[in-house]
Amino acid sequence: MSAKIGILIIACVLGFLFSAVLFGHHSPQAIVGPADAPPSLKYPFGTDYLGHDLLSQVAFGAFPTLFIGLVAALGGTSIGFLAGLYGGYYQRLQPVISGAIDVVLSFPSIVLLILIASLFLASNNLIAISLVLILWATVARGVRAQVASLKNLPYVDAARTSGMSEWRVVNRVIAPAVAPIAVSYFVLTVSIGIVIATSVEWIGLGNVTEVSWGSILYYAQTYAFIRGDWWWVVEPGLMLALVAIGFALIGFAIEEELNPRLRTYGDKFTSENI
Amino acid sequence: MNFLLKRAITYLVVFFVVLNLTFILPRLVPGNAAELLASGTRVPASAAVAIAARFGLGQPIYVQYVSFLKNIFFTWPPWLGVSYGYFPATVTSLFMGRIGWSLGLILSSFLFGFLLIYFLGAKSLLKRKSKVETGSLYASIMFNSVPLFWVSMVLLFAFAIHFKIFPLFGSTGFSSSGGLSYVSSVIWHAVLPITVLSLSIMAEGFLILRGSAQDILRSNYILAAKTRGLSDWTISTGYLLRNSLLPLVSILSFSMASLISRVVLVEVVFGYPGVGDLLVDAVLGRDYPVIEGSFFYLTILVVIGGLIGDVALMRLDPRLRINR
Repeated sequence: MSAKIGILIIACVLGFLFSAVLFGHHSPQAIVGPADAPPSLKYPFGTDYLGHDLLSQVAFGAFPTLFIGLVAALGGTSIGFLAGLYGGYYQRLQPVISGAIDVVLSFPSIVLLILIASLFLASNNLIAISLVLILWATVARGVRAQVASLKNLPYVDAARTSGMSEWRVVNRVIAPAVAPIAVSYFVLTVSIGIVIATSVEWIGLGNVTEVSWGSILYYAQTYAFIRGDWWWVVEPGLMLALVAIGFALIGFAIEEELNPRLRTYGDKFTSENI
Repeated sequence: MNFLLKRAITYLVVFFVVLNLTFILPRLVPGNAAELLASGTRVPASAAVAIAARFGLGQPIYVQYVSFLKNIFFTWPPWLGVSYGYFPATVTSLFMGRIGWSLGLILSSFLFGFLLIYFLGAKSLLKRKSKVETGSLYASIMFNSVPLFWVSMVLLFAFAIHFKIFPLFGSTGFSSSGGLSYVSSVIWHAVLPITVLSLSIMAEGFLILRGSAQDILRSNYILAAKTRGLSDWTISTGYLLRNSLLPLVSILSFSMASLISRVVLVEVVFGYPGVGDLLVDAVLGRDYPVIEGSFFYLTILVVIGGLIGDVALMRLDPRLRINR
């Protein structure tokens, strides 16, 4: 049920953004209208302090943000999956990888990103790569826990005693069993990734000349409060929040599917009826 | 003891990594740090030379490393550099001056967040698939994934500008003079940031609590308590929560890091004069010593918080005290 809501939200948002990009009249960089205009029929999202049409800005700005989130999630999930898989299975690797996961998770992530982005020239690629370095640990921790619980199940033992080498056991037996968890982590890391990427851009690191949700909010933080342009603050953030919530709901639903403990059972099994 | 030892080793590694990052990263930046010092900041040239000498910038890298370590471990207070923007204040003094406000936010939002988790969990976890439970579940998922700084901006707009209830920025007003009006001003300014942070902590913790409570709900003793006719509230607090709180505490030491990140962002939105605000101001003003020093100190804060959390965990869970 949460998956359906999540997919619905994302589909609506993406549909809306794509249609705004395809059918929009204005370029996001062009100054088209009066400054500080509230939402109206002509400018459905209003304009900002210079007169840019916010609808086009939000629509075009989605792509850099989503790009960073997807790339970071892909990289983070791949590395995290491999690290969790081999770290969870092989005894010799376990202290090393578990230690690495713990160390990475003990860093305040946004502060680390701020540090890196401020020292080196902040571009989308830099943010994406730094995000991968942070996100892999969350994925690896979950995958490792799952592998640890699967490692001693009878069917894995059977595979081992039937003569399969450890390498084959890990790759052919355990990996497919934990792959669904990795999928749910992928979706969750997309959600986390776009929020962190926008936070870094909102502070002012990252390319503020390129239109992205973070840079819109960066200018909004400086100018919107004084000018009373609430729509300037609400719109890009609302899009971001909706996309993040949508992905989080999908990821949570996948996780719930796979993990029977978390399911909310139907009426038959409530404690009242026992 | 074994558990605490493992955690302490992890934190030592973290500290070591942070220490070296704080040394290496600035020196990886193209361009001499002394040139940065002298170019377009408020630092007068004579002081720039003196600072460069104290950093040991002209010397080979291992000498610099030794003087870096000496400045941190063998001087008190640890000398991490002089701020470019607030010259001649040292980084350490800037950070320590502001840490009080940030700690106030962190501790009070921890308190309120935990209370919220407790009461929400007690009320809702026992009734599966009820409106309260699914409602709080979805609310937690949403609040966990939504960008916190944006929520703060919206709340600031709504309550400070539109409805004019709460003040716009800062931690104290201009007209408060000491005594009761100072305290009430502090509280009034802190309401919005603490609300946002507590809700965020509550969301994260509730999800974890729910996960661990699912297992416990199926145990026999819960069923037995129900057949004995105990009220829902008694079962929740006495049996369910007592056993499911444990994973929550163990997650707390990990969540210190994400909490610090969230506090940083929230402080910037509300203009709260804590270390987060200092960090972001330094970023925008290219005040590199403050950025590096803040990163260093913030990670140490995370380590200390994590250690406290782990000690608390060890006291609460006797299984961890076994020497294995």
